[in-house]
Amino acid sequence: MIKFSHVNKWYGDYPALVDINAEVARGEVVVVCGPSGSGKSTLIRTVNRLEEIQSGELMFDGQNVHAKMKGAQLNHLRSRIGFVFQSFNLFPHLSVLENVTLSPIRINGVDRGTARDKAMTLLERVGLSSKAGAYPGQLSGGQQQRVAIARALAMEPPAMLFDEPTSALDPEMVGEVLAVMRGLANDGMTMMCVTHEMGFAREVADRVWFMDAGSILEAAKPAEFFSNPSHPRAQRFLSDLRSH
Amino acid sequence: MLTEIYQIVSDNWLLLLIGQYPNGPLGGMAATMLLSLLGIALAFPLGVLIALARLSPFAALRSSATALIYVMRGIPLLMVIFWVYFLVPLLIGRSVPGFVTMLCTLVIYEGAFLSEVVRAGIQALPAGQIDAARALGHSHLSAMRYVILPQALFNVLPSIVSQFVSTIQETTLGYVINVPELTFAASQINNRLLTKPFEVFLILAIIYFCVCWSLTQLANWLERRVAARRAGPQATVSPAARGPSATRLGDVAREVGK
Repeated sequence: MIKFSHVNKWYGDYPALVDINAEVARGEVVVVCGPSGSGKSTLIRTVNRLEEIQSGELMFDGQNVHAKMKGAQLNHLRSRIGFVFQSFNLFPHLSVLENVTLSPIRINGVDRGTARDKAMTLLERVGLSSKAGAYPGQLSGGQQQRVAIARALAMEPPAMLFDEPTSALDPEMVGEVLAVMRGLANDGMTMMCVTHEMGFAREVADRVWFMDAGSILEAAKPAEFFSNPSHPRAQRFLSDLRSH
Repeated sequence: MLTEIYQIVSDNWLLLLIGQYPNGPLGGMAATMLLSLLGIALAFPLGVLIALARLSPFAALRSSATALIYVMRGIPLLMVIFWVYFLVPLLIGRSVPGFVTMLCTLVIYEGAFLSEVVRAGIQALPAGQIDAARALGHSHLSAMRYVILPQALFNVLPSIVSQFVSTIQETTLGYVINVPELTFAASQINNRLLTKPFEVFLILAIIYFCVCWSLTQLANWLERRVAARRAGPQATVSPAARGPSATRLGDVAREVGK
């Protein structure tokens, strides 16, 4: 579904991604972890081309994401990749319902009634149908992030990307967002999640990618990765986590 | 002196208010306000377009918008008035009323200035807003129209009112090309009385001050409203629902907004 082949990216002289070769299969849940500054967010942002790459190839559902293409083509491609941000990025001037219906109406030309019904179903799914008329500023961080997930799902994407979805949340709100993500994974959604929630990785992920200094050092099943990491950098990372 | 001022006002209030209308063109305060309102109303959409051009992905649009803004910022308004006054009749082959000349000038000049206000409003929004819109599949223009501009234009409302105050003051320059506005009316009165320039122009100054000062108060009030909204809509829902932290956040936003 998502396939990186020899992907390289530099910020000036600084190598942000170094020869990335990896694949997320359809229906698979991949958790990307690693120390800060290791390139996790950059990696996930190249998948819908919020970041450009300098060399290599990135395929999404059979389409070369970084090929030269028309703006409309790129917009269509992006509309098929759900993206959830660390800072939620809900549109503060629109109500919760309008946040979810805006893009289906304006981009896909769905009529208002249908978009509304769909949005209410999605809000129900993330447990926030009672907040449809509220504005983002009136919601807690966890509620905002759940709305952001519903907003992304409204475009009916075949895959969802999560860029540290719980890092900006108070601890007591992390659970509600992870529960929604767990539900998605159980429904068979293809997911790529950058996260520090190792419990989630252990329980939900099909594979864990460990990154450091722009490279994927280890890609393994979670049971294997957590009990017996092969790369010394991953061993150190995990022992640092456990010592807390 | 107060009695003289009172005398001048009671003899000439109609001239100050509407000029020689209906026996002549509309003038006085009415013309000043009409000129300023039309000026800012037409300059606003132009300003939004120039701002969008300046932030456009197309280099040609970007550089022509930037050039226009730099030219307008680099020359005094009076020069632009002269250019329009002498050039437009040559271009269209017939004479143009002073009111229209002044209106065109104000629209171009204020359009350039407003575009900078709008651009600042757009660039002050968090980058995550455009990221989120693009990630959902919106085109650049669609993201601007549905996500960025509604927020940016609301946030710059106070600056637009301030720009309106400047526009009112700029209309006085219409005097040099005989636009019958408020300053022109005052000068007519002065020419008739001959011996009372201090009183006449004091009246003029007071009128301008009252109008502009009230509008500045409006801009300040709007700024507080906007800052409160930016701090989070909970501040506008009900005072009872506002926690102490929300109040403090509102104060911070107000400070930053100043």
